[in-house]
Amino acid sequence: MKQSFWKFFFLIWLVCISNASHALEVIEILGGKASQIPVAVIPFKDNNAQKSMQLMHEVITNDLNRSGLFSSIDISGVSDYPIDEREVNFSNWAALQSQFIVVGKIDAIGRSNSQMQVTWSLIDIYKEKTVLSVAIKGQPSQYRVIAHRIADTIYEKLTGSKGVFDTNIAFVKKLGKEKYSLFIADYDGHNPRAIVNSRYSIISPRWSPNGKKIAYVSFEKKKPVIYVQDIETGKRTLLANFRGNNSAPAWSPDSKKLAIVLTYSANSQIYTIDADGKNIKQLMRTRSINTEPAWSPNGKEIYFSSDRAGSAQIYKVDVDTNEVVRVTFEGNNNVSPSLSPDGKLLLFLNQDNGSYRVAIQNLLSNQMLKLTNGPDDESPIFSPNGHMVLFTYKDYGKVSKIGTVSINGLKMTPIDVGSETILESTWGPLSD
Amino acid sequence: MRLPWLENNDNLQANLFTLVIHLALFIFMIFSVNWQVKTPYYAEVELWDAIPTQIKPKPLIKRATPKVQKPQPSIAEKIVEAKKDADIQLKKKKAAELKKKKAAELKKKKAAELKKKKAAELKKKKAAELKKIEQLKKKALEEEKLAELQKRLLEDEEVEKVQKKLLEQDDLERLQEELRNKDLAKETRIAIEGTQDLVAGTNSGELEKYKALIQQKIYQNVNKQLCGLDPLELIFEIVLMPTGDLIGGAKMIKSSKIESCDQAVERAILQAQPLPMPQDNRLFSQLKKLKLKFQPNGPIN
Repeated sequence: MKQSFWKFFFLIWLVCISNASHALEVIEILGGKASQIPVAVIPFKDNNAQKSMQLMHEVITNDLNRSGLFSSIDISGVSDYPIDEREVNFSNWAALQSQFIVVGKIDAIGRSNSQMQVTWSLIDIYKEKTVLSVAIKGQPSQYRVIAHRIADTIYEKLTGSKGVFDTNIAFVKKLGKEKYSLFIADYDGHNPRAIVNSRYSIISPRWSPNGKKIAYVSFEKKKPVIYVQDIETGKRTLLANFRGNNSAPAWSPDSKKLAIVLTYSANSQIYTIDADGKNIKQLMRTRSINTEPAWSPNGKEIYFSSDRAGSAQIYKVDVDTNEVVRVTFEGNNNVSPSLSPDGKLLLFLNQDNGSYRVAIQNLLSNQMLKLTNGPDDESPIFSPNGHMVLFTYKDYGKVSKIGTVSINGLKMTPIDVGSETILESTWGPLSD
Repeated sequence: MRLPWLENNDNLQANLFTLVIHLALFIFMIFSVNWQVKTPYYAEVELWDAIPTQIKPKPLIKRATPKVQKPQPSIAEKIVEAKKDADIQLKKKKAAELKKKKAAELKKKKAAELKKKKAAELKKKKAAELKKIEQLKKKALEEEKLAELQKRLLEDEEVEKVQKKLLEQDDLERLQEELRNKDLAKETRIAIEGTQDLVAGTNSGELEKYKALIQQKIYQNVNKQLCGLDPLELIFEIVLMPTGDLIGGAKMIKSSKIESCDQAVERAILQAQPLPMPQDNRLFSQLKKLKLKFQPNGPIN
């Protein structure tokens, strides 16, 4: 009996040993989706009774939606609005498929309640805890800026990248016959203010990476010439007025140089020039057209479009060695290159079957993704974090408008800057 | 304690002794029977009984073949234990056998004595033939001596034989024991393999099915946009309830070094609750603890 007993235990022991040494079941999850984070932004409880501020949650919602990384939860059926974690009914919000909710309150502070303080929180519905809790002070008139900054904070917390909701864009508007203006506005088109008014056409505005200057091409000398204008002082200098056309300015990453295109010797050729107009150098000497230069973020290469292979394609040239490499191969024509801030994505216009679309190409895998449907999209440029693209498109093939598209292609949003035709646009850098 | 009535009665003494020996033998037999009845734990391996395709009938035949010599290292301890017990059993058996032998000896001795007595009586009766009788007696004595000698010789022979037999039996026992242990090892192994088969074998179909369901449900929620573009890997461990809900959240074993990515993947796991879980308890136990390996931007080389 004793023996049987021990045998039994021995067997159990063996099974236990085998179980203990047996590794956990492993499930491998390869890849993922380009999905959106569902967020509910609850109207902030307004103890200040300033009506405009009740729109803050809308600004935040629109910002997050525009990025293409978030989707807002419809809260129209929800009656009670929590203002902090304690008031949140987590199971209700989970049932609405919300992953996060943003709650807050607005209080009047300071002398005669002239200032306001927004206390807000980002709450994780699945973990049932507050991720962020912040208080911001400001003037009631600054409510949009405050809302953009709240959206930026949320964006950075959840995506790991800086938000661009508190940045600016610049665009040229044709206001009438012989009436053109270069505007600067909030990234969503609000608060536009003209910095250049001209009887002549203005094209190719380009913001310097340090945010202080804008270069643009003006036709006021009866031909295209390049100006650089200080945004703060409004003072402008003529950068390039060489023989032939002067066009397509592109700032180097350190804001000290520009690449420009001159037809000085017949065909369009790329030159580099110091920001003060000195030290001009031709980059390559070829018989083909080389135009639309764009610097790589490390400043060592310049991407450009060229017809050297027959059709227009994008190439890159090493600034020091002048060695040229072709980059795009898909489609009939590929033009208007620009680089993402991390240098990993190339943004350009892809022309196929007669229509121009905004496309990006992963420079590691060389995979191309068309972001828009065309047919007449133009002047694409990355947002400062590389997550969105600003571009112009033709509304019903007529009026040129501007809009943004997320680089996952999920969200295309117009920017409302009035009914006039927009000639070109550019995106300013992140504010410090 | 002295028992003169017993000491004086050789017959009774012999019979009692025999009875005791037999009783001892009988008890030993019971022990033996118990020792043989060790099937219960084979019956435990019903789980592979339920999956006939997985059971290899060969081992059962092989069990009878004495070829298997080397015990599994894993059961060495068991074999030593079993052998020790077997030795004790064998010693007992030997002792019992020897006692039996002695009893048989005694019987024979008594029979011889009886014969002797009869011969003596016969001698008295046939006084006339005293000399003859005496001769006979002598003869008988001689015969007796001879018989005794023969007996002794026989006894020795028999003892030797018995010993030999015992040795043979010992070997046989040992062999049987070895085989039994071998079988035990084999059964154990089969039992373990059977369990593993649940993972990799027949039931692996079901297991793989649930693994795929879980994989799919979590994959749906992985937002790879929050993981940059470079290839990277994250590993999480989760413990599940039979309902498919997590116990104590997801434990990150390996980070992607991108916080937003770590968070996104963790959310993907949490969001996938409840995960699809089998009704079968044994299958559930396989899926209770899981290691989840994520490569959101494609495989790492």
